[in-house]
Amino acid sequence: MEKAIEVRDLHKRFGDTHAVQGVTFDVRQGEIFSLLGPNGAGKTTTISILSCLLQPNDGDAFVLGHSVVREPMAVKAAIGVVPQELALYEDLSARENLDFWGKMYGLRGPALRQRVDEVLALIGLVDRQKGAVRKFSGGMKRRLNIGIALLNRPQILILDEPTVGIDPQSRRSILDSVKDFNRQGTTVLYTTHYMEEAQELSAHIAIMDQGKLIALGTHEELVHIVGELDRLQLAVNVPAEAVLEPWQATEGVHKVSAADGVVTLLVDDSNQVLPKLFEAATRAKARITSVDIQEPNLEAVFLHLTGRALRD
Amino acid sequence: MKLFDIAFKEILRSLRNAFFLFFGLGVPLLATVIFYFAFGGAGSGDGFELPVTQVQVVNLDQGGSAYGGFSAGQILVDFLRSEEMADLVQVTEAADPAAARAAVDRQEAGVAVIIPAGLTEVAFGPGKEATIELYQDPTLTLGPSIVKAIVSQFVDGFAGSKIALEVATEQLAAYNVPVDDDLRQQIALAYGQWAQELGASQQGGSNALFQLRAPAGEEAGNEGLLQMVALIMAGMMVFYAFYTAVASSMTILQEHEAGTLARLFTTPTSQGAILGGKFLASGVTVALQVAVLLTFSHLVFGIDWGEPAAIALVALGTVVVATGLGILLNSLLKNTRQAGIVYGGVLTVMGIGGMVGVFSGQMPGSGSGVDLASLVTPQGWAVRGYGLLLQGMGPLEVLPTTAVLLGLGVVFFVVGVWRFNRRFA
Repeated sequence: MEKAIEVRDLHKRFGDTHAVQGVTFDVRQGEIFSLLGPNGAGKTTTISILSCLLQPNDGDAFVLGHSVVREPMAVKAAIGVVPQELALYEDLSARENLDFWGKMYGLRGPALRQRVDEVLALIGLVDRQKGAVRKFSGGMKRRLNIGIALLNRPQILILDEPTVGIDPQSRRSILDSVKDFNRQGTTVLYTTHYMEEAQELSAHIAIMDQGKLIALGTHEELVHIVGELDRLQLAVNVPAEAVLEPWQATEGVHKVSAADGVVTLLVDDSNQVLPKLFEAATRAKARITSVDIQEPNLEAVFLHLTGRALRD
Repeated sequence: MKLFDIAFKEILRSLRNAFFLFFGLGVPLLATVIFYFAFGGAGSGDGFELPVTQVQVVNLDQGGSAYGGFSAGQILVDFLRSEEMADLVQVTEAADPAAARAAVDRQEAGVAVIIPAGLTEVAFGPGKEATIELYQDPTLTLGPSIVKAIVSQFVDGFAGSKIALEVATEQLAAYNVPVDDDLRQQIALAYGQWAQELGASQQGGSNALFQLRAPAGEEAGNEGLLQMVALIMAGMMVFYAFYTAVASSMTILQEHEAGTLARLFTTPTSQGAILGGKFLASGVTVALQVAVLLTFSHLVFGIDWGEPAAIALVALGTVVVATGLGILLNSLLKNTRQAGIVYGGVLTVMGIGGMVGVFSGQMPGSGSGVDLASLVTPQGWAVRGYGLLLQGMGPLEVLPTTAVLLGLGVVFFVVGVWRFNRRFA
């Protein structure tokens, strides 16, 4: 299968911060590829380089064979970008927004009108096309935000955390739309810090942390990294820090991380380890208030590789 | 093409922006209208105009054969009814004092002028006194004051005849010439005729007493008011043109913060087209503002801005320098939160500096110290341009000022664009 995107040893520095450090990966044509990682991992910087918004300090990336450094206009013509934050003119109507952005992609006259009609239908805003965007709900704005990126019938659609801060219904709608676009032949590069989204959507997933790509593969390949380890999530009635050290020292525990009052552990066998964890908690004068045992997943992979939870 | 698409989008957004419509067009016009009415423009269609006062006159003075049929009271009545007074007073003769006062009480008249019996005798005889009664509507101020001034001048004229009579009597007595009543009357009559002839010769047929309200004086007043309104309008226009330019250029920062600028950069649109479109929109918006204000002020206030070619030059210079400064100032800002510094500080100080000549009532281009000091700011040069237009200068005379405006504008523009290009490179 041909490569839609090739990223080769990409580096980007902002002053003393090395935001992207030697990232290399390929995205095949027609697949959904996810960049998974916590905030600050370097995902947005990487796709900003792929969108020609930033110039890399070292390395290069190729979109359909065009270098983002040397042929930015050819790259821009081939991609549609959905930014993380809404990027709309709220004082214009939905149709006026699409008209304007369509012109920026070089559409004119009847072709522009036809494509705007198609996109309005695709995002379900035909009835509200003349309404000022500022009066739209958050979900409608999100749909329009995505619709703009579809105007030029992009071969590659880049979405930067499009589901951040929206309700579950809109999130479901966006995920379904992404799958639809992919079924129609569009290659999708999707960034997220939601493990479930990457798991549901993607053929291949790249996990990023602190500017580096730490794992790459299919969901199954990645989960295999953690082997047969079980993942436990325990809540305690005291600050999580009180039990981190005793649990880390418990036999059968490989990794321990705490976030939002919940302690996540990777253990050999939960049946054998759990009683020991209860004993250690009692010694630390803590009481376990809930227990959740999970099969190995991407969250466990991230914990295994970094020693931190994905939400940290 | 995309450059024009971006510019069109910007202008469309500006025209839907209540802030721009209010501060860009509404406030300059409002400020000028306030000044206009504050200086007496209210109620006039085409200039300053005094209200006509209704006057009830009762003439109890009969004059008499002893004075050659001459009646001082009748002269006053004729004076008030004369053609020259028609713009100020409309006279109706009442049957008696009570009827005249009643008309004032009913507010059918603003003033009643009651001329006492024996006024002629007092006017020509020595040592006697009489009182002309003015009965006025207490709710009025201007009309009664005008009538009082007219009557006072009339009385002063007769006082002059009495003085002339006494001086003549003393002179003749010094030469031992006997002065009897006949001679006194002849002297008084001769003075009266002389005074009237003198007044007529000085005013080209008008009585000298009309001088205070002569049409020529009124026109001069209107001209002065218009000149002042025009200056204020020019100052307001320049002051707010710079605000509009900065505000419209600030959309670059606003779009940067809103994420739409970054999105524009992900489309196959060159940076030159994106920034150029926004700068073009800024220039067109300022041009639109200047055109609307110039047209409005001409149609409503009757301001004559001069020759179209000269107006075009000054307006072009204003647009270019304001737009250039707007781009430069915004290129120096990191974000829109710093806009307050530009609005409240830099632009206000520069604007006041540029209008200091207008505030001090001096015509821009007069060459005074204040006028020259205002030229430290680009606003001062723009105000100077409009000042030259108001003085009737043509394209050649305004060309040097326009050249300075264009030169400053180009420098501002180049530096601002260079900084923006570096920022978004």
